[in-house]
Amino acid sequence: MTVVIEASGLVRHFGDIVAVDGVDLSIDEGEVFGFLGPNGAGKSTVVRMLTTLLHPTSGSARVGGCDIRTQAGDIRRMIGVALQDAAIDPLMTGSELIRLQAVLHGIPRSVIRRRGPELLERVGLTAAVDRRVGTYSGGMRRRLDLALSLVHEPQILFLDEPTTGLDPTSRQALWAEVRRLNTDLGTTVFLTTQYLEEADQLAGRVAIIDEGRLVREGTPTELKATVGAPTLRVEVDQEHVATTRDVMTGFGEERPSREGRVAIGLSEGAAQVAAVVRALDTAGVTVIHLELDAPSLDDVFAHATGRRLEGSGDEQ
Amino acid sequence: MSTATVATGAGHGLNVSLAICVRGMQRLRARPVLLIPTVVMPVFFVVSFTGAFSSLTRIEGYGTSNIFNWMAPYAALQGAVFAGVGGAMSAADDIENGFFDRLLLTPGSRLPILVGTIGYSAVRSFIPTTGVLLVAALGGLELPGGVPGLVSLYVATAGMAVVFCLMGLTVAYRLRSLRSMMIVQVIGFSSMFLSIGQVPIDFLDGWLHDAARLNPLTNVLRLSRQGFVGEMSWDLTWPGLVALLAMTVVGGLAALRALTRLAP
Ligand SMILES: Nc1ncnc2c1ncn2[C@@H]1O[C@H](COP(=O)(O)OP(=O)(O)OP(=O)(O)O)[C@@H](O)[C@H]1O
Ligand SMILES: [Mg+2]
Repeated sequence: MTVVIEASGLVRHFGDIVAVDGVDLSIDEGEVFGFLGPNGAGKSTVVRMLTTLLHPTSGSARVGGCDIRTQAGDIRRMIGVALQDAAIDPLMTGSELIRLQAVLHGIPRSVIRRRGPELLERVGLTAAVDRRVGTYSGGMRRRLDLALSLVHEPQILFLDEPTTGLDPTSRQALWAEVRRLNTDLGTTVFLTTQYLEEADQLAGRVAIIDEGRLVREGTPTELKATVGAPTLRVEVDQEHVATTRDVMTGFGEERPSREGRVAIGLSEGAAQVAAVVRALDTAGVTVIHLELDAPSLDDVFAHATGRRLEGSGDEQ
Repeated sequence: MSTATVATGAGHGLNVSLAICVRGMQRLRARPVLLIPTVVMPVFFVVSFTGAFSSLTRIEGYGTSNIFNWMAPYAALQGAVFAGVGGAMSAADDIENGFFDRLLLTPGSRLPILVGTIGYSAVRSFIPTTGVLLVAALGGLELPGGVPGLVSLYVATAGMAVVFCLMGLTVAYRLRSLRSMMIVQVIGFSSMFLSIGQVPIDFLDGWLHDAARLNPLTNVLRLSRQGFVGEMSWDLTWPGLVALLAMTVVGGLAALRALTRLAP
């Protein structure tokens, strides 16, 4: 696996504020990397440094093998970026912006004539292309911004809180789009979010940032496992309880449970559920009810920082 | 898998510059009120200065007997200052509302962003220049220098817009605010005053005379005015062109430096 985003000791000060305080990252090609943290944690500042929009105060980083200080122009060729505040000119129309973006990225007219409508269709903006962006809703702007970031089919995509302000349907659609880009085109995605669910749903690996420092890093499963193994509870017919216990204790330590149920701590995380179910099936046990009590990324965050993530801090 | 590598070379840079220039025009079309200061001010200058100073032409040595011939190029250059600062202002606006990030994410060099913005300012200066000429024509503007005289006026105003756009961009990239453009506007305005805008240099005394003599804008005024007050001459042409070129180079370097300080 090639490392496509690599940072070491990234620091950024704004006057007295230390926005980013020594961040190390290593992200492989084809990963969806979730960057999770509360308001003001330093997520956007890291994104702006990695996308060559901001000089780091110290430290270094390489994106697509190029140095962010000395080869910024080459990095910009490879990356697509949708910033937190959609960089959109209210006086222009959606299609004018798509055409401008294509020129900025050297996409030939013939290509964009085909790709433009396709992208707009995918983000559900076909009907609004000829309207001034100033008349778009917040969610429409974000979706247009996403479409714009994809005009040149970037190998590496940076999305800074892409679903903030989207309704649930648009959020699902965006998730689907990110998954599609990742699986079909192999795009590496660096995604910041304040939503645990989003990181859990999309990211293969997650880093949690708080006050400019990384406090945890790993797959969502690994991270949750650091807080403690999830509990799997299975309800079966009384006659099967003994067999069930035999099978399940092969996957983890037994935990206390009510009559007619068996509970274990899944030592290797929630991913084991399928294996447990298969094993029970093979042993001829019929499962009546199954329940997984998994620790959330929120538990991980609380464990790492002593605070809760969602609804915490200085949210507007 | 990716077509991203297309964005290379000088051809791409030129396309980017053009696109930025075209975008400026699209914005003007979307909101023509943006043009009001650029056109109204210089036209107001022609009307008010020709009225206020008309008797000056009777003084010997004024260089022309028609006040419109004297004032129209001056007003057009003032308009060009507005056009140039206006171009920088739209960049400052972009910086404030975040659109500038999109431009900064353009692959390769950032020079085309600068070139596109000054190109837009230059094109934009044609509007006040033409407006001034039309109004002055109603007042009886003459053009003894013919087409070359007209060309030198357009060249001078475009150059002036470029110079003041670069100055504005330098300030905008450093201070990142729209309000900072006021500074440049005032500099442009006053440096035009400390020149031979209203009266010939021999009419000026003391430090005003020295200021006008050293002011590079004096050469630009001579360049732009020559075709309206007499025959064209190379002696009045090259100092203006050199002054514009020198100011463009200095301003260009300053703006580029400010831009690279803003982002890698
Ligand atoms: N241009 C700037 N000037 C001064 N301070 C800044 C600037 N940009 C960011 N900061 C500060 O740096 C810190 C990190 O900000 P950043 O925008 O990176 O956080 P974030 O994790 O993206 O937060 P959010 O979830 O609210 O977007 C904050 O304290 C912020 O106030
Ligand atoms: Mg942010």
